[in-house]
Amino acid sequence: MITTVIIAADSSNPILPATGEIIWSVLSFLLLLLLLGKWAYPPVKKMMADRAAKIRNDIDAAELARAEAQRTLEEYREQLAQAKREATHILDEARQTGEALRADLLAKAEEDLAILRSRNEEALRIERQRVIAELRSEVGSLALELAEKIIDAEVDRAASQSLIDSFISEIGAMQA
Amino acid sequence: MLLAGINFPPISDVLNWKAIAFSGSPFALNKVGLITLVSAGITLLLFYLAGRQRQLVPSGVQNFVESMVDFINNSIVLDVMGPEGAPWAPYLTGLFFFILFSNLFEVIPFIQMPATARMSVPAPLAIMVWFTFITVGIRAQGIGHYFKNAVVPSGVPGPLLVILVPLEILSNFIVRPFALAVRLFGNLLAGHLLLLTFAVISEAMFVKSIGLVILPLPFAMLTALTGYEIFVSALQAFIFTILSALYIAEAMKSQH
Repeated sequence: MITTVIIAADSSNPILPATGEIIWSVLSFLLLLLLLGKWAYPPVKKMMADRAAKIRNDIDAAELARAEAQRTLEEYREQLAQAKREATHILDEARQTGEALRADLLAKAEEDLAILRSRNEEALRIERQRVIAELRSEVGSLALELAEKIIDAEVDRAASQSLIDSFISEIGAMQA
Repeated sequence: MLLAGINFPPISDVLNWKAIAFSGSPFALNKVGLITLVSAGITLLLFYLAGRQRQLVPSGVQNFVESMVDFINNSIVLDVMGPEGAPWAPYLTGLFFFILFSNLFEVIPFIQMPATARMSVPAPLAIMVWFTFITVGIRAQGIGHYFKNAVVPSGVPGPLLVILVPLEILSNFIVRPFALAVRLFGNLLAGHLLLLTFAVISEAMFVKSIGLVILPLPFAMLTALTGYEIFVSALQAFIFTILSALYIAEAMKSQH
């Protein structure tokens, strides 16, 4: 019913296009195509392509940097391990050297000690011999002296006794 | 009768518009012509703004334009035409935006007229597409090869060709542009008249107090249809563009 009303009320044809409309629509569309293709579309498209390229480059660069970092890390690890090995080696060497040095020093000290000791013993032995010899001559002269005194005081028994005592104590004092 | 009180405007009042400028000459500019000019202008403005922003992370207008360009490139150019269709991307993008905005004026308040509801817009567009794909076909395959490939199906026995060749001519060179134009025109004209009908009924209900009880029904319908028409506007623009791409792609390579 509505349609009937509309159609009945219409005098002109709603389907056939008007000339002016055709001209303006074609003109605006062609103008749009021309300006869009020459001037408006390329910057947008270029920007999108640039962005895609930039993202692709960034990803590539990041991948490269990651590989580089990985390689550096490996190098550092290798260097660290090398340094550790060297340090251990140096320590071992030092320890060995120290050990050898200590043994050497000890041996030398012992040797020196032995020399010193034998030298001392020799000196002591000589000194003792000298003392004994000296003592012998001293005792001999004393004995001679005593004998003289005994002969001198032959009669006095009691005096001899005291003489012997004093002789003995004299020797004791000399020995001390 | 409730309907008796409703005054539907004559169809010429909602389709045939008076000239605004150059009245009386063939260049008479009316509402429809103005809408097509504005549609082209909006498209160019959007691309100009998007191209000027140049942000690495797009936002606003740039984001909208870029996603539409991306959509047309992926869903129409690459899907239908393949990589060799890339030079056609600006043409198809322009076609899509021009039709989309011409359609969308159907729901813009105070304008409420899709330019594509007049044959003066879909018909020239369809003829241009028709012209384009024939030219592309002739340039890509040579005039003889192109028309032979287009109208003579391969592997069909001789006698059948008598029936098939006229059918192919009819389907490829007459029905294609006609269907392109009529599909767009019919959808948008129907949508325009539907919105108009429900707007007129809603208004009549509002004016007549007796109708207030059922006012929400036509008004709800009007609201729902407005949303639906936005969808139809985008869909018809897409269909017109993708079919144009398909015809051009077919002409570029011999399919038989």
